This record gives sequence, C-alpha cells and structure tokens, in this order.
Amino acid sequence: MPKILAIDTSCDDSSAAIVDGLVVLSNIVASQHQIHKQFGGVFPTLAKQAHKENIAPAINLAMKQAQVEWLDIEAIAVTVGPGLAPALEVGINKAKELATTYKKKIIAINHVEAHALSPLALSRGKKEKIVEKQAENLPSLAVVISGGHSEFILIDKIGHYQKIGQTIDDAAGECLDKVGRLLNLGYPAGPLMEKFAKKGRPGKFNFPKAMTSHSDFDLSFSGLKTSARNLILDLEKNEKLDKQTIYDLAFSLQEAVFEQISYKLERVLFSENLEKRIYPSRDFLRHLEKDQIKVTEINEIWLGGGVSANMSLRKVIRKLLQKYYKLTGKKIPLRVPYSKRLCGDNAAMIGLVAGFKFARKEFARTEDLDRKPNLGILC
Amino acid sequence: MKILKLNSDSTEIIEEAVKCLENNGLVIYPTETVYGIGASAISSKAIDKLLQYKGRREGKPLSIAVTDQTMADKYVEINEQALKFYKNFLPGPFTVISKSKNVVDHRVNSEFGTLGIRIPDYPLITDIVKKFGSPITSTSANASGKKRPYKIEDVFANLSEKQKSLVDLVIDAGELPKNEPSVVVDTTLTTPIALRGSLQKNGKAEVLWSNDENETIELAGRLMLNHLNQLQNNGLVFALNGSLGMGKTIFAKGVAKFIGIKETISSPTYSYINEYDYKRLETSGTFYHIDAWKIDDQKELEFLNINELVKKNNVVVIEWFSQIQEWLALNEKITIVTLDFEEENQKRKILISENHK
Repeated sequence: MPKILAIDTSCDDSSAAIVDGLVVLSNIVASQHQIHKQFGGVFPTLAKQAHKENIAPAINLAMKQAQVEWLDIEAIAVTVGPGLAPALEVGINKAKELATTYKKKIIAINHVEAHALSPLALSRGKKEKIVEKQAENLPSLAVVISGGHSEFILIDKIGHYQKIGQTIDDAAGECLDKVGRLLNLGYPAGPLMEKFAKKGRPGKFNFPKAMTSHSDFDLSFSGLKTSARNLILDLEKNEKLDKQTIYDLAFSLQEAVFEQISYKLERVLFSENLEKRIYPSRDFLRHLEKDQIKVTEINEIWLGGGVSANMSLRKVIRKLLQKYYKLTGKKIPLRVPYSKRLCGDNAAMIGLVAGFKFARKEFARTEDLDRKPNLGILC
Repeated sequence: MKILKLNSDSTEIIEEAVKCLENNGLVIYPTETVYGIGASAISSKAIDKLLQYKGRREGKPLSIAVTDQTMADKYVEINEQALKFYKNFLPGPFTVISKSKNVVDHRVNSEFGTLGIRIPDYPLITDIVKKFGSPITSTSANASGKKRPYKIEDVFANLSEKQKSLVDLVIDAGELPKNEPSVVVDTTLTTPIALRGSLQKNGKAEVLWSNDENETIELAGRLMLNHLNQLQNNGLVFALNGSLGMGKTIFAKGVAKFIGIKETISSPTYSYINEYDYKRLETSGTFYHIDAWKIDDQKELEFLNINELVKKNNVVVIEWFSQIQEWLALNEKITIVTLDFEEENQKRKILISENHK
C-alpha cells in the first residue's frame, strides 16, 4: 500500500500522520488546549495562528517517527472540511506547498468521513488481514460523536454514505463541554465530566428524555443543556452545589446524553426500509435516485469521534447490541478506534480515508483545493 | 417619453395616464412620499417592462396602489389586523402587507406569497387608478438601490439611456416635500410589525408576539427581504439578545433559510463563530453566525475580527449581543437590527429596533 502523509487542522489540534493503508505508522497531535483553555472555547483566529506555528514541526516529527523520507511518500492528504474556516486554511496551504515542492498528489478529505472510518485503523505491526473481512461486515452504521458532531451514517461500501440522523442543535460533546463550563470545569470540560461522572451516584437527578416524540433519527441536546443550567442556578442559589452533587450531576447528565444516543440507535436498528429514511430533505432524493444506498441490514456499528473514547458510552451501546441479539438472534459487533488518540481529532484517520481514495484514484487538483467549513458527509 | 406638468389640466393627465397604463406602459408619478413608478399590476407585459426598468430585484416585492379597502379586498386577504390599519391609517404613507389572492402578476408578490397594498393620500393617483379600474404598481421610481427620488431629476440622474427609454409618461409635480418612504407594515404575522419605518413613537422598538418557532423563522425572512439594499451596500448585522432557549438560534436559522443555506445551523458557542457561504439569486456572500456568550472582554472580542466580517453582501448574526455591545465599534453606515427576545405571560415577545430608523 502507498505511504501517505496526512494533515488535519480542522479545529484546535494540529495533527500530522503517516499511514500505510490501514496501518498507522505515526500520528502526531499537537494540542492547543493550553492556548484555548483560558477562554473556554476556540477562537478561530487564535487557532489559525497556533496551527501555523505547530504544523511544520508536527509533520517533521510524524515523518521521523514513521522513519520515512519524502521519497517514500506517495501522496499528501488534507482535511478540507468540516471545521473552522481559518484553521482549515492552514492545513490546506501547507499541503499545497508541500505537494508543489515535492511533486506529490493531493487527496482532499472530509473530516467526518474520517471519524466514521477511524475504527478501521490498525496499529503498527498488525497484519492487514482485516481488509478482506471488512467487506463482509458491510453495510455498517457509523456513529460519530464528538464536540462538533453527532451523526448516524449508513455505509454500504467505503466511499458511499448516507447520513440518516444528526443533532439539530448542539453536538453531544458540546453539551457536556458547555455544562462543564457552567460548573467551572475549564476547557475542554468533556473529559473531566467523564471522570466526575464515574464518582457520581445514579438516580440523583432526572433529565428530560429529548426527541422521543420525533420518529426520525435526529438528536437534540440543547434542551438538556437548558435544564442543566436551570438546575445549576438553583443548586447555587440554595448553596447545595458541593463536590458530590457535581459528581452526581455529571453522572446524570452524561447518562441522559448517552441514553438519547442509544435510544435513537435502537430505533435505527429496529427500523425497516432504512434506505427510505433519507436525510434530511427531499432535495436529496433527487441526488440519490441514480445512486440510492442499499441497506437491508446493519452488520457492524463503528463508533468514532472524541466522545467515542468514553467508556460509559461504549457500555451503553454494547448493552443495546446485547438486547438486539437476544431479541433477533443477530450479533452486531461494535468496532471502536484502537487508541484514544484516534478518537479525537487526528491526522491518522485522514490518512486512512486517503488510502481508500488513493486506490480509487480520487485526487484533487491543487488549484481546486479549498476549505469547506460546512462540508457534509454526502459531498 | 411624454412629460406633463402637474399644473396642467388634471382630466387630461388622468386620461393620458390611463391610456399609457392600458398600453402596458410605465408612468412616473408623484405621491405624498416619493416619486413612484406605475405599471398595470395584472399585466405580465407591463411587469416585464417594469422589472427591466428597476433592474436587480433579488425577489423584493413590488407593492400596488388601490383606491380603497373594497378594491384592496379583491387582491389580498384582509385580516383583522390589516383592517385596523385600513381604518386608522389609510389613505396615507403606509404599505400594508397581507396574503395575496394571486390576482396580480406573480412577480408583484413577495416570495412569501404576500402583497403590499398602498392607498396614496394623493387624489390624482387614486383618480387614475379608479379610472384605470385595476391596481398599478407602487414602487419608488428609482432604480433598485439608488437614491430616494423627491424630484424628477433625482430619478433620471441614476438611469441609463435604456432605462429612460422605457418610461412612457412622467407626471412632474416639481420637488416633493422630503417625507420618508411609506412605513411598511406586515400583518401576516401574529402581531403587525413595521418592516420599514416605525409604528412606534420616540424610537421605541416594534413588538412582535411570536407564537412558535416557525413564526420566528418567518420574521427573519421578512427582515432579510426588507434589508436587501442595506445588505448589498454595506452588509447587515442582526444583534440578538435574550436568555437561553428564547429562539435566538431559531432566528439565525430563519436568516440562513432565506438566503438558501441548506446546512443545519447549530449554535456556534464552542468556536464562537460559524461561517457559511451563500448564493441567493444574483447575490453571493457569507453568513457569519456569532455567539458572544463567552466573550468577557475587549481583547477576546478582537479575536473575532467582526469589523472585517461586516461588509457588502455579508450578513452577521450575533447572539448575546449585549455582551459585546460596549466594545464593538462598527462603521456608522452599517445597519444593525436589534432583536430582544423576552418571555411575558408564557408568551414569546420580540422587540425589534434598528439604528437607522
């Protein structure tokens, strides 16, 4: 397989990786948390500046760790979207510059597609026997849950996707981050919320179950955020917001977020005629007439995105899949990224998708390469 | 082109005007506000010609002049709110928007299927319409986006030879008193709201009681439609205030819907700012959706570079505007529409004001 240099600067991590097919040879992530933590969010202009400073060293380190030279690299892959426009720009410009200097092909990658396929990545040293096996396991359903995304994506073959549900307001990770910030847990508060949730006691707080009345597969977390906010204000007023209460609240909120994901996932699994549940508007029907996705059943669940590192989320989904097995006799395996680093934003997953695109000869022309901050999974 | 001075015999003027309208011609006429341009609103040929004259419309509606409420009733559905305006304010410098009955040429309607009705407080014009027997367009005589016309020279100064050649008749009343253009009142939402001009005294905000999310989305569309000129000249800012869950993001969705953005609009709290490129009819620009909730000082505000974002064809929606108001210094030319979302007796109240009103 060709060795590919991959670059991702979509949000607040500057990342570079060397990938050989499904095998990750190196995956460097230069986090900007130190810069953004003082504000509690990511300023695109600050992120851009940090990417500019970080990306070249990240690339050098990725090549060094993978023990490759420019001669070994066959193509450069870069995230073109979705993400923060000024941040994306840095990676794209870098890729263009390197492609011109070293005369390499460029491959444009969708960041969400990369999260969706990230569970397929293999660590160095493993054989690629899984490649053939993989075809048998399609169609699959990718569940991408992160600070910026919450989506259900049907995959009948690699490169052919259909989004069937997504958050209509905040992403799941965003909800946890925001409430974490209300509790003064800093930035990003999500991982801390997970730690606190582990110390929390079940059943202390009750959050509303959102979107159960909607028959679609969409998610909504802004209601949870609002009720958490009211609850926190109330607890503060009554001076009841002590450590254990925060733990309990983190537990219940996280549970409510994951319950909703699991609830909609269950609905997807038990739905008939999935291919008719086209998302989001009838406009897409036209687009799909010729090339309609064909899904009769789901054979695997692929969980990706920053929140996929959360063990409680994995547990909730595994529990659902067990229930499904009991009721239908069909086993659906859950596949997750092999490391925590592959869950968050990283370039290895970008290189992984690029491997598939390389095989299909889907290269981008340098002059056409442009940032697409709101790129969807269909494009 | 024929020019008739207003001091000539009014019977002759009326006859000439009616003859011209019957032949699908264009008439420039005086009103109590500015000079208007009239074409038969039910004739597609006349509207073709008018649209050629006005230039880029970008979906902006043309209103019509009628003689009275009875005549208006043939062209629009007059609801209770509209009725109040007909009784209290017409004839006069008001354009009352109602749901169209689609009798006029479809291009006279707005893209929301609504139609503006004007009953000018200018007997000569109502006499012409009466004699003509059907409504005429009542849009200002300037080409789209150009200076308000208070005298015939104002009109012609900004016209090409080709545009001038389209005009068949001019009724010249000399220089008109500098009255504001008509107040445009939309009566198709729950509460009537002034889209141009103001119904309130002393610069007080317009009040809309929104019943549901759809209405907030509609409101965003109406406000966009009525500020297309400002958008195309210097860019447009919507400043939104109100606590969590009041409908600020819904309003942003309405703006996006109007300019044809298909992506789901979600709150940009995490990254402060989301951007979406759009193309609506002939206009392309960028929609910036900003959440200022976490902006705590001027330094942080500067990271957003808002001054550079607000420019021609860009629309900037800022949630939690009050958070940054004191530090944000925008060019005075830029129109800022402020919407304050409140809750009163479990109903959603939206206060709408504008820096240039």
